[in-house]
Amino acid sequence: MKDRLPGALDDYEIVKRYIKSIGKGLLKVMSKMGISTYQSYCGAQIFDAVGLKADFVAKYFAGTHTRIEGVGLGEIAEETVRRHTDAFGDGQIYKSALDVGGEYAYRTRGEDHAWTAESVSTLQHAVRGNSLERYRAFAKILNEQSERLLTLRGLFRIKSAEDDKRKPVRLEDVEPAKDIVKRFATGAMSFGSISREAHTTLAIAMNRIGGKSNTGEGGEESDRFKPLPNGDSMRSAIKQVASGRFGVTTEYLVNSDMMQIKMAQGAKPGEGGQLPGHKVDATIARVRHSTPGVGLISPPPHHDIYSIEDLAQLIYDLKNVNPDGQVSVKLVSEVGVGTVAAGVAKARADHVTIAGFEGGTGASPLTSIKHAGSPWEIGLAETHQTLVRQRLRSRIAVQVDGGFRTGRDVVIGALLGADEFGFATAPLIAAGCIMMRKCHLNTCPVGVATQDPVLRKRFTGQPEHVINYFFFVAEEVREIMAQLGYKSFDEMIGQVQMLDQTALVSHWKAKGLDFSKLFVRQKEEKGQTIYHSETQNHHLEAVLDRRLIEQAQAALDRGAPVKIEEEINNTNRSAGAMLSGAVAKIYGHAGLPLDTIHVGLKGTAGQAFGAWLAKGVTFELEGEGNDYVGKGLSGGCIIVKPPKISGIVPEESIIVGNTVMYGAIAGECYFRGIAGERFAVRNSGAVAVVEGAGDHCCEYMTGGIVVVLGKTGRNFAAGMSGGIAYVLDEAGDFSKLCNLSMVELEPVLSEEMINADTYHHSGDLEAHGRVDVFQNLLDSDVERLHVLITRHAKLTGSKKAAEILADWKSWLPKFRKVMPVEYRRALKEMKANADAEPKIAIGA
Amino acid sequence: MQGHRVSMGKITGFLEIERHERKYEPVAERLKNFNEFVIPLSEKDTRDQAARCMNCGIPYCHGTGSTAPGTPGCPVNNQIPDFNDLVYQGNWEEASRNLHSTNNFPEFTGRICPAPCEASCTLNIDDNPVTIKTIECAIVDRAWDNGWLKPEIAAAKTGKKVAVIGSGPAGMAAAQQLARAGHEVHVYEKFAKAGGLLRYGIPDFKMEKGIIDRRVAQMEAEGVTFHYGKAVGGSTPGAIDPQELAKQYDAVALTGGAEAPRDLPIPGRDLAGIHFAMDFLPQQNRRVSGEPLNGTADILAGGKHVVVIGGGDTGSDCIGTSFRQGAKSVTQLEIMPAPPEHENKGVTWPNWPLKMRTSSSQAEGAVREYAVLTTKFEGKDGKVTKLHCVKVDDKFKPLPGTEFTLDAELVLLAMGFVHPVHEGLLKTLGVELDQRGNVRASLQDYQTSRVKIFSAGDMRRGQSLVVWAIREGRQCARSIDSFLMGKTDLPG
Repeated sequence: MKDRLPGALDDYEIVKRYIKSIGKGLLKVMSKMGISTYQSYCGAQIFDAVGLKADFVAKYFAGTHTRIEGVGLGEIAEETVRRHTDAFGDGQIYKSALDVGGEYAYRTRGEDHAWTAESVSTLQHAVRGNSLERYRAFAKILNEQSERLLTLRGLFRIKSAEDDKRKPVRLEDVEPAKDIVKRFATGAMSFGSISREAHTTLAIAMNRIGGKSNTGEGGEESDRFKPLPNGDSMRSAIKQVASGRFGVTTEYLVNSDMMQIKMAQGAKPGEGGQLPGHKVDATIARVRHSTPGVGLISPPPHHDIYSIEDLAQLIYDLKNVNPDGQVSVKLVSEVGVGTVAAGVAKARADHVTIAGFEGGTGASPLTSIKHAGSPWEIGLAETHQTLVRQRLRSRIAVQVDGGFRTGRDVVIGALLGADEFGFATAPLIAAGCIMMRKCHLNTCPVGVATQDPVLRKRFTGQPEHVINYFFFVAEEVREIMAQLGYKSFDEMIGQVQMLDQTALVSHWKAKGLDFSKLFVRQKEEKGQTIYHSETQNHHLEAVLDRRLIEQAQAALDRGAPVKIEEEINNTNRSAGAMLSGAVAKIYGHAGLPLDTIHVGLKGTAGQAFGAWLAKGVTFELEGEGNDYVGKGLSGGCIIVKPPKISGIVPEESIIVGNTVMYGAIAGECYFRGIAGERFAVRNSGAVAVVEGAGDHCCEYMTGGIVVVLGKTGRNFAAGMSGGIAYVLDEAGDFSKLCNLSMVELEPVLSEEMINADTYHHSGDLEAHGRVDVFQNLLDSDVERLHVLITRHAKLTGSKKAAEILADWKSWLPKFRKVMPVEYRRALKEMKANADAEPKIAIGA
Repeated sequence: MQGHRVSMGKITGFLEIERHERKYEPVAERLKNFNEFVIPLSEKDTRDQAARCMNCGIPYCHGTGSTAPGTPGCPVNNQIPDFNDLVYQGNWEEASRNLHSTNNFPEFTGRICPAPCEASCTLNIDDNPVTIKTIECAIVDRAWDNGWLKPEIAAAKTGKKVAVIGSGPAGMAAAQQLARAGHEVHVYEKFAKAGGLLRYGIPDFKMEKGIIDRRVAQMEAEGVTFHYGKAVGGSTPGAIDPQELAKQYDAVALTGGAEAPRDLPIPGRDLAGIHFAMDFLPQQNRRVSGEPLNGTADILAGGKHVVVIGGGDTGSDCIGTSFRQGAKSVTQLEIMPAPPEHENKGVTWPNWPLKMRTSSSQAEGAVREYAVLTTKFEGKDGKVTKLHCVKVDDKFKPLPGTEFTLDAELVLLAMGFVHPVHEGLLKTLGVELDQRGNVRASLQDYQTSRVKIFSAGDMRRGQSLVVWAIREGRQCARSIDSFLMGKTDLPG
């Protein structure tokens, strides 16, 4: 083999390169799981075994979970020998070539796939020709998998009604298809990953049949919130709230029926969504509140969720913003997910999704397409069993997704305990996707996963195609329900005794499988139902915002300025969220004129003070904030300052907690004091002045301006791809605290400029009497900084700000400007193209 | 070891490069002889064309692995994206290796295959498929020119003997695979040379016969013994008794053709000048190669009005041959209605669509008539002079008042083949037939109702494409190898 490797390599070099590649792979897996050190990788038990015998795992991977048994050492040895024989034997096709694999692109001699030329085309012909017969042919290909062994459910057998001592019912007595399709949702595929044409086709189809489409993470253009003249609606019912918080504005949240917190993605747990820069055109950037041409990476975790209590807080935040919407939490199938789901139910989510590993975007990195995630059958069974055992099942709707394709899949999902079902790839294929797996290249030839205007014209999908597909699936469900003797869908949910292991499995590697742990029928308490039948009590009746809304009625009705004075204490959580929801419902993201609703508050605010605060609302707090102040800030203004009578030294004291301004979109914050850890993480457009900050400040920031008039913690600007920051570096050690992998440090003012006496502000940013601090972000730093510090001094009474302004000339050289490299490139390109830079004016 | 790159082809090639097909010599030139007239693309053009391949996640061109009729894509499952990328990279030798790993005879299919792969190409959604057939042909022609195709002689002999009856593409593919697996293979061919329809049916202008000869030479070097002029079964002098043959060999593969032609039993059928296509075409091929006609009377189109009944590929071959012989006119009649100019891609792609296609022979000046039923032949002095025809509806019912006549001195019946000839070989062996009269054998093991007797190609499948014959021959060989050895390394 050595002679066929490129270049002349000696043995040492070959081994060195081999070790290097293995090392890189290992690092990739570790970073995917959020593991930072080798020590914490060792023994971390981050894997579940799927299809390995328990005694084998106990011996060689002690502590790893394995749920469905499977192969042992004998089979693994056999497989290894076979592979070796292929490689070194006399097989005709392996003489000069390795096995084709076929993992990422289908090859007949490689790995089998559910989506093949045959299954894709049969489905497309069925939905386009509205042919139930062709659909049946499609379903047959996928349902009869006993020989192809593609999925766990392919190895399940559905028993007969008689096996359960019941009788089949007549098909006409079974719940109609039009009710069943309401349980269906399309998958979370973002506008950005797929074209507007594809995204709206799915939305229109789901709105017509009463199902739900999902925005995915990446916002939604607000023109879609208004119904079309013909009564159709392009509004996605489910608005996803993912770790990147791209486009998660107040307006976005109030225009939803369900807000889904994506804890992870079934196809690539541990990783956030990723959109390469060339797919971020002007429109996508506008919707995501980011910069055209700059790639977008969602951080692996939600920075406002480090515990189940944090998750409960986010559920509460969202419920406050949009009390009419349901809150869903999306989890991934894994061993232990049942416990998490029980926590989610106790945290008062209305809905939980268990996502399996099938499907997933074609834009996923290759390392995430295979061997990441777990089959939904395993996670769903555990979730349902745990919820029933904890008497929580009736309080929460359970949705399952991940490779749902046929009615049989739905029935098995229901029997294992799901109320609702998510479909992603199949409806997309109905709309024209042909599984090119070119989503990341922007070259999708059928206009589905591309933003290229030329290629988008090739999209031919119609809502009818998607609707036909879902009705075909529902009809197949009804036929099986009739055979099983269930008239209503609810009756079928959780009846796992109807499942058995197929006797047909003859494959030598499949013989050891044992699904009995999945088929445990957890007995419910008397009077309990084992499907979703109750609503959660969210305790929203007496929140502070009810009083604020009442007093702000004049502003809400006719935009009249109002001033409100209230006391606040730490049981008043998510203050401002419900008020902002009310503003956004009427006035959209544009909101009200600045300071229309001015709320003066005194006391210690509870968590998430000013969350999703809308434009036109000012919260002026004399006291202190808690964690998550200004989360999702959508144009509002938040001022926090210590009480006048307080004896503390503001510039040395924490005034707001951790994770402040996470996911802020627009607006202003002035904090007279120091912020905690993770300040302004994922800020995409808000302006903030603070007098010190903890670790990880400005992490993953994509826009906005942050001014820190004091010390920062470590890891400043990690993953920061946009926006700018100014840091007062009195100790001169900022370059050590700043993570310089994506940003560069620039002086605000050079020696020459000081000597030339041009440090005073020139009025470049001024227009119509207001100052636009976002003008000319490549330059005008002195003026911008002066404007912001002046405003901070005025609004908070900051002594530190006053000192700086008083001796401007000597303080200026101590400021460092943090400039993301990619952002500078994009700004320069935009300037060259005379494109408009993002413009947000702040009050002068 | 074959290098594997994550991204293949030129990512935006399909957006930047137009499809360019091989061109033909002008009609006036090509009608002067029976030579091939397709002009290969330059190396650069071929590589550019290969760059258009998108390396689809599901390469519809590549086929599904299924051998069932109607399956989209390449019947032999050529790894098209892989060889396209290799050609784009200029790695022709590796491309040839890759191509030969699925197809024993790409030089046949590169010339005469209707290319279901191109119909299934993703870019055919917009009528711009990658020129897969052109690329395939370029790879294998270059491989022959450079001497890359050497006999692949089995490292060890098994000591097993296999008889292959019929040397068409199915038989050749089976024989080559079996020889490479180390078996002693004897091919029995009733005619003077190997190739079956490739040799005697397909005109030289579509595929020159030296192309078969060099493959036969390769196979002989690999240990295949060809027995020419040896009919197996039947009553011709010197015919071999199939039962005897079955006794002498460890396995027998029946790879004959579907040779029983569909007839047109209407008044006047017995007039002189009405012939089956397969009486007409082989004569001309023998003339070109200098093989004696064995005393049969010449059937020639020169100076005649020719009518070809049947609108398929054989009909086209009759047209091209007639024009080269100097026919005054050629009219082709088809009973089916004219197919649509453009198929509805939404409900056809990636399957082989019914659509209007014009073969190179039809383009040489034939008149085509659709939805026509011939009701009677009229003659003078025992020779055909006229056809009486009528237009029909889509259920083939005559439409009153649409009757017409056509002058013809030569009528060629090219209406397809119903099944293999039953008399002789098949009856003597007593193998079961399926409902359509083909030899019954499954796509899983190609085993007939008689132990150790296998069947593949048209004899099992009914009339079909050369590329299907190759696939069946390969799979049949795999099954025979497995039957003889208890396991097999042969690919399907």
